[in-house]
Amino acid sequence: MTNPIHLTRDCLLGPLQKVIGVVEKKQTMPILSNVQMTIEDNSVSFIGTDSEVELMGEALFISQTPVETIRLTLPGRKLVDICRALPDNAAIELYQEKESVVLRSGKSRFTLSTLPAEDFPTIERESADVEFTLSQTALKSLLQQTQAFMAQQDVRYYLNGLLLTTIDNTLIAAATDGHRLAKAWIDNAPTSEDIHIIIPRKGVMELLRLLSDSDESVTIRVGKNHIAISSPHFSFLSKLIDGRFPDYSRVIPKKTDISLALDRDQLKEALQRVMILCSEKHKAIRFEFSKGMLTITANNPQLESAEESIPIDYDLENMNIGFNIKYLLDTLQTIPSGPMTLSLNGPDQSVLFESSTDNETGVRSLFVIMPMRL
Amino acid sequence: MSTRKIIHIDMDCFYAAIEMRDDPSLRGQPVAVGGQPGRRGVLCTCNYEARKYGLHSAMPSGVAVRQCPNLQLLPVNMFKYREASEQIGDIFAEYTDAIEWISLDEAYLDVTESDKCNGSATWMAEEIRAAIWSRLTLTASAGIAPNKMLAKIASDLNKPNGQFVVLPEEIADFIVNLPVKKIMGVGKVTNKKLEAMGVVTCGDLQAWDLPALQESFGKMGGRLHRCCRGEDESAVRSERVRKSVSVEITYPKSLMSVSACVNEMPHLKERLLKRMNPVDQSIAKQFIKLTFDDFSKTSVEALSTLLSDDLYAQLLKIGFKRSDKPVRLVGIGVRLAIDTAEDNGQMALLGE
Repeated sequence: MTNPIHLTRDCLLGPLQKVIGVVEKKQTMPILSNVQMTIEDNSVSFIGTDSEVELMGEALFISQTPVETIRLTLPGRKLVDICRALPDNAAIELYQEKESVVLRSGKSRFTLSTLPAEDFPTIERESADVEFTLSQTALKSLLQQTQAFMAQQDVRYYLNGLLLTTIDNTLIAAATDGHRLAKAWIDNAPTSEDIHIIIPRKGVMELLRLLSDSDESVTIRVGKNHIAISSPHFSFLSKLIDGRFPDYSRVIPKKTDISLALDRDQLKEALQRVMILCSEKHKAIRFEFSKGMLTITANNPQLESAEESIPIDYDLENMNIGFNIKYLLDTLQTIPSGPMTLSLNGPDQSVLFESSTDNETGVRSLFVIMPMRL
Repeated sequence: MSTRKIIHIDMDCFYAAIEMRDDPSLRGQPVAVGGQPGRRGVLCTCNYEARKYGLHSAMPSGVAVRQCPNLQLLPVNMFKYREASEQIGDIFAEYTDAIEWISLDEAYLDVTESDKCNGSATWMAEEIRAAIWSRLTLTASAGIAPNKMLAKIASDLNKPNGQFVVLPEEIADFIVNLPVKKIMGVGKVTNKKLEAMGVVTCGDLQAWDLPALQESFGKMGGRLHRCCRGEDESAVRSERVRKSVSVEITYPKSLMSVSACVNEMPHLKERLLKRMNPVDQSIAKQFIKLTFDDFSKTSVEALSTLLSDDLYAQLLKIGFKRSDKPVRLVGIGVRLAIDTAEDNGQMALLGE
């Protein structure tokens, strides 16, 4: 880099924020705490990676003077923090000085260390077996409705991610931690090819940060070991989890004896109040079904208790079911406001939660929670 | 640190002993508990008959079956072992709160403060082993010593079904001929290094000064220097997770009826609540215990997540009916839920 480059704070910050989530503070390889910056004629892009997930964010900028192509690496977190701390649209000047890169803006001057761009470990590209496009909103909705149900650091490593699969012309996203399951799907799958991949948890979370609610499509390429997703503004590449996702369809109750109509907001608010008297450790609550009434109770080790009643259309035998309240609230967080149904067979079988209204993105979903023994 | 009294209790072939207790036809035969040979299983434990064939824990089951073709290899029934372990823990709790579990079948007890058996740790160990036999029909071995290291070494000396005491004044004599490989943490590598130095017994090791040992073994050097002199200051770290809370009262004049027992409830419950106050675990069960005037005992428990007075009254009725005799002791308590997914009642969605 011979000549200084002139940019604005915002054209750096936008793409940087897209990729920074994957850049971890404590890295085994020092270069992984850096981001790779590339400046070409009229674009600036950053790549961040943890060697499992690689993210690229790009922004346009207009340069008064012709710009040579430059590629270098800079400490990611520090660069983001500097840009965030500068005023909006502040002008920034970047130039190389000996072994360092200098960033100047107004009366501020930062000298940053740099590591050779050619040492930056980008994930090797592979050919795609399947390629299709999908609207960002649809993809985002598929992930949003299932992400909370992925396992975290489970020994069953294949649960620490999200299944993306095609069955009978539907595109399905599914996640389960062994206690509960979420399935979201789009009829009329955007590809006729078979897909059956597990995207690791971290990749899913980062992808969610990249996706916006725009109608713009993204291109999805699935290879043997990777999934790549790209839009004009970003690209995402993640390794896949090599494992067998359990047959989740068999835990979804097919025929249920009891089906109850509930209002999502009413149930959610009742649970939020009951939650106050649940302790950090003790998350079990009781659903008591009696004629015309659902009574929800929580107790804590201090022997305090909370009780909420919701009128329901139920006239069978009294029945008690225990639930982990966190699982219920995660589910209701995902189900949109409005009518919903709760379907079940008994206190020791999985319980099905579904919204009765259609999601505006055309994505449908269902949730299954396994009860707790009382 | 003033002199402590530590008991190391080690159950004899715990898993195998439980299986033999529950299926007498296994007695006299070589028995092991562990994974199946076809699935790369290993032995968790085996009985003394099996050990005659050279079998030992952590041995691949395939090798074990080849070496001992008539081996009775049983699947692991962790629930059963855990239950037995909890019952053993109840016995320990009668002597001290300072209990450090090493595994389901092994624990350290610090009984320094206990005034049971006139403060004799040797007698406490005898009683504990006798109680384990009478309540669970299982045998245990014990080591009694002023610290954990010596207690553990001692429990191995009269195994099975025996105990060994190292008194403070006997430490020097006890340790001098002890092979260094008996020290916890001295494995193959360290032992080889020590052998090369001409060190076989702790007495040999005592000839080496601290700087020399630190030079050769780093941090371990300091430990070796202390251990070969029979010194070990490490405390008995009692588990933070409590499994139950209970209170009991022995009455100077026996209670003659159920209603007399039920009348004692408010007082007992007040004391129980006080003891439960610092516990942040949820209740899994309520239980009562009764001792009758002929010293026969009974206890009754029921699933519960609340502390219900009515339930205690019911349990007292059931317990009383079993003997229908005057009652000298009434106890009430709760079993606590242990917060892991399998124990807190959360059921699994996917078949494991």
